[in-house]
Amino acid sequence: MSRERDRADHTAGPPGPAGSGQTTRGDRREWLKAFLWNQWEGLRNGLVPMLGKEMRGRTRGLRSPLLLSFFLGLMSAGTVAFLWLMTDRTSQIMPQVGLNLYSLLVLGMILLLAFIAPAIAAGAISGERERRTYDLLLVTRASLTGIVLGKWLASVAYLLFLVLAALPVLAVVFLFGGVPLANMGMALVVALTTGLGYGALGLALSAILRRSQAATIVSLVLVFMLVFGSLVVAGVVSAGRQPAGDMPVPAGEPWQSVPGPPWYVYLSPLVALSPALPGMENEGLSMSGRIPLVGTLLNEILRQFRTGPEAGTYVYGYAYGPGYPGVYPGAPGRAGLPSWARFALCQGILVVISLVVSVLVIAPRKPWSVWLVSRRARARGQGGIPL
Amino acid sequence: MIRTTGLVKYYGKVMALQGLDMTVPQGAIYGFIGQNGAGKTTTLRILAGLLLPDGGAAEIAGYDVVRHPRVVRGVVGYMPDFFGVYDDLRVGEYLLFYAAAYGIRGQRAARLRDDLLELVELGDKREAFVDTLSRGMQQRLCLARSLIHDPQVLLLDEPASGLDPLARVEMREILKELCRLGKTIIISSHILSELADLCTHIGMVTAGRIVREGLLHEVLAAAHRRNFIVRCYGSLAPALAVLEAWPGVEIINTTEEQVEFSLSDGPAQAAALLKEMISSGAAVIHFAETQQSLEDTFLLLAREGGEA
Repeated sequence: MSRERDRADHTAGPPGPAGSGQTTRGDRREWLKAFLWNQWEGLRNGLVPMLGKEMRGRTRGLRSPLLLSFFLGLMSAGTVAFLWLMTDRTSQIMPQVGLNLYSLLVLGMILLLAFIAPAIAAGAISGERERRTYDLLLVTRASLTGIVLGKWLASVAYLLFLVLAALPVLAVVFLFGGVPLANMGMALVVALTTGLGYGALGLALSAILRRSQAATIVSLVLVFMLVFGSLVVAGVVSAGRQPAGDMPVPAGEPWQSVPGPPWYVYLSPLVALSPALPGMENEGLSMSGRIPLVGTLLNEILRQFRTGPEAGTYVYGYAYGPGYPGVYPGAPGRAGLPSWARFALCQGILVVISLVVSVLVIAPRKPWSVWLVSRRARARGQGGIPL
Repeated sequence: MIRTTGLVKYYGKVMALQGLDMTVPQGAIYGFIGQNGAGKTTTLRILAGLLLPDGGAAEIAGYDVVRHPRVVRGVVGYMPDFFGVYDDLRVGEYLLFYAAAYGIRGQRAARLRDDLLELVELGDKREAFVDTLSRGMQQRLCLARSLIHDPQVLLLDEPASGLDPLARVEMREILKELCRLGKTIIISSHILSELADLCTHIGMVTAGRIVREGLLHEVLAAAHRRNFIVRCYGSLAPALAVLEAWPGVEIINTTEEQVEFSLSDGPAQAAALLKEMISSGAAVIHFAETQQSLEDTFLLLAREGGEA
């Protein structure tokens, strides 16, 4: 990396009429090249050391083994308790035990990750402020995007580590059979997307709230609202206007079409789980028979939404089961997206918004004020206008 | 090397910098002196690119700090007044982390780490955890961190605060060594005595403005109004009458026993003044020049700055 390259500092703006007065295409290309190079360098200078430091720091001390023990302990305890409950006194195992156990484990894992992810990320940026290492970081040549991405990926890497560590616990279900590998893969994808999205949310709150404790509490409350609150709100909102969902729904008759689930239910990983749990593709999320408490609750909330795969079921005029012919009449492709993909999309949007907000919040020199000051300086340089 | 012109910064409605003009030549150790709240930290943070000025301009090595932040970051090493360390890193890892953040990796980073630890005399602490170091060692480590990218300019905000006398001496020796290596250094401080034998240049800041700036000895000489104390046997009135009439005399303090005054001219005037006092009937028993320290000079200048 040469100093010469740095001289074409992108904040100085591209060469143009305000600069030398004469601009060639080559100048602009050079400027663009330098700009991209600087961006890449900044990103690398932030991402690589931050990722290394965070991962090194996380694996030192007692916090990491304790959290891992807590996570695996809860999952194992759930497994043991469930098996104990489902095995009757004659020690016979019912055929559906494997499926039920799997549903419980996946649900448990995702709920745990949903709350662990923001808790891990919530101290990432506020911790730098609290430790007073923040300024030292900002004067380096690391870009803010690199720093934020490094922090985020480090917490995500830790979540990945947790998920990997949980695989042996999940593998217990293979003793009973009945769970396709693809479904388990889907469940893992949902688990990771949950961690990615809520981790980014925790990071953004950590940047905004400036104190780790406040960021942790607020992010946990927000995640609770996203996971359960969105479903409750959707349930309450739609309960009044939707008929019981077990009747055939006429397609192509807009006046009879039922409203689809509102977009915000896809903020909850529970909705995404419906296709990831085997045997539910055609039933929606009816877990009442499997997980007594959670299943009944979820079932009540989600009964009206039946978020299974919809495509094709209403071609012949009537849709049976989980079809939503009237939901997106103009956009069959979008209507066909399975709920886990919609959840992933929502999480993706959440990640992008959270990371952008984090970068803007931690910027010591906000882009808009830099632009203003730069403009004023340029104006003064040209016309002698005093500031 | 460093030049600010009319630097203005507001915190809400408070005007922290009121048009600060400062020039630091290359290779200088520039003592940036002012009371708490005078605007030292604000100025240094603007120079380090951590704050945007609301007006005026600041440039380092010819680059405007607002328009070329990346270049300026490569030229400047900054050590804030309060800073923390990552408690879960070792000393060597700590330096390598910042080296990587400046884009220095591999063999070069490892060599720099060893050289810098040697410079700040922490070579034997490479494997120690950063939070087990004493305050003085952490200060030195932070100094090493600010040197990791071989900056031409060092901005040190109160580098000696919280250090014991021995650690201060060590810090001073390191800074002198850095000056020999050709670095331009700005040290802010409100403890003036620690700068007196270290700085080549000095800038005194009061209420967001530089009130006096230049080579250390020149500033001292310019500000050095000769202060005298006169004591008389009996009444002070005749002496006071002479003093009040004498041109170039400024009475600083009068008590029942003595008068303290400053005289703008040289020793010949002082001798003439004493002669005049005695001939006017004052029973002078003590007439002596007081030694003026950097602190006194600063207080004097601060008072002048406040009145201006």
